[in-house]
Amino acid sequence: MMSSQNGDGEDRAAGSSEAGLSERRAQLNRKLDGIRAVEEKAARKSQSSSSGYAQAMKLSSEFIAGVLVGAGIGWVTDQWFGTSPFGLIVFLLLGFVAGVLNVLRSAGVVEDQDAKIQREKDVQNDRTD
Amino acid sequence: MEAEAAKYIGAGIACLGMGGAGIGLGSIFGNYLAGALRNPSAADGQFGRLIFGFAVTEALGIFSLLVALILLFA
Amino acid sequence: MANDPIHQFQIQKIFPIEVGGMDFSFTNSSLFMVLTVAATSAFLIFSTSGRGLVPSRVQSVSEMMYEFVASTLRSSAGTEGMRFFPLVFSLFMFVLVANLFGMFPYFFTITSHIIVTFALAMLVIMTVIIYGFMKNGMKFLKLFVPSGVPGALIPLVTLIEVISFLSRPISLSVRLFANMLAGHITLKVFSGFVVSLSAMGAVGVFGSILPLGMTVALTALEFLVAFLQAYVFTVLTCMYLNDAIHPSH
Repeated sequence: MMSSQNGDGEDRAAGSSEAGLSERRAQLNRKLDGIRAVEEKAARKSQSSSSGYAQAMKLSSEFIAGVLVGAGIGWVTDQWFGTSPFGLIVFLLLGFVAGVLNVLRSAGVVEDQDAKIQREKDVQNDRTD
Repeated sequence: MEAEAAKYIGAGIACLGMGGAGIGLGSIFGNYLAGALRNPSAADGQFGRLIFGFAVTEALGIFSLLVALILLFA
Repeated sequence: MANDPIHQFQIQKIFPIEVGGMDFSFTNSSLFMVLTVAATSAFLIFSTSGRGLVPSRVQSVSEMMYEFVASTLRSSAGTEGMRFFPLVFSLFMFVLVANLFGMFPYFFTITSHIIVTFALAMLVIMTVIIYGFMKNGMKFLKLFVPSGVPGALIPLVTLIEVISFLSRPISLSVRLFANMLAGHITLKVFSGFVVSLSAMGAVGVFGSILPLGMTVALTALEFLVAFLQAYVFTVLTCMYLNDAIHPSH
């Protein structure tokens, strides 16, 4: 599909001059960039507004997994080092914190720098649109 | 009553505390939703505080889970 | 008991095999895994055998799947992540086809057993760990030390990050397993209502229309969940692979 379109473009461009060709290529690039940006934005938007049930399942399982892993590690440390019950207490609380961190991360509140910059750019684009 | 049986009953009673945390979480998210519907433009900015309230409330629930787990395993 | 909602998840031995005291029997779970792989491979080989420049209907279905997984992977792990494309595409197809196979009546749902989904999740996490150490060496451990944290807090934050990392395979596997298990049990319970209500005479037959409608609606929902969970599994796999390729955040 893609390759056949490219072939068409080259065939038509072959007759014209070198300058016309490069100009045409630049134009095509600009158009493609625009389409790609729109598609990416749409993809991000659809990701963020995916069905609420799925998102709730995702967030709660992230949280529960954190707490479970913390409790598991605490129990194992207690068994190995005989520190019962302090290993369980400390690691369960740490697991709780890790669970909250997981939730924040998958809800997209703690995001890395690139994503933040990208989002600000999106907001600006939205305003200019 | 045997000590083992008392332990299991105690763990069950300790888990009731999780119910309190559940009520609290319902109240937090319900109020957030009510506020967000009144002023949707301010909702995104308060998401961090929502999660903060969630964490603090859930921490108290986790304490009761902790007591139950200690009774069962420690 | 035919009406038991858990009965459908029972593992039955088809060919009992025992090697050195360990049970290696070929069970109905293994049968459906083999069927899943065979159906996926057969479909992909058949649909791409034409290699038309203008794709036929089946070919465009497999091209769409390819493009879908490729764009998911590229957007979250970058072009460098495309080296994991075979792994991610196989995982997506396996989970998707296994979930959809489970929707046939009398078929066994392999993703409703936590050991299967946990094995898949461990496959992903082990790939992340091994590739991360191979590519970045000790710098991979930077994943656990976020930048811009005050010195006194670093041990605590590192511990929390390690627990958060360890909870990934659990949440990845539990999510898929719980969704499939809960969905199939609900379906079975509601269709069981239809049978037991219609055994109660004319009024029962009339009353069984409600759970029948519910079963139809739930079946549609289950198809959605089957696809959605395969997609979520793929997206999270891509995100974890991204951590292996670019460990510092």
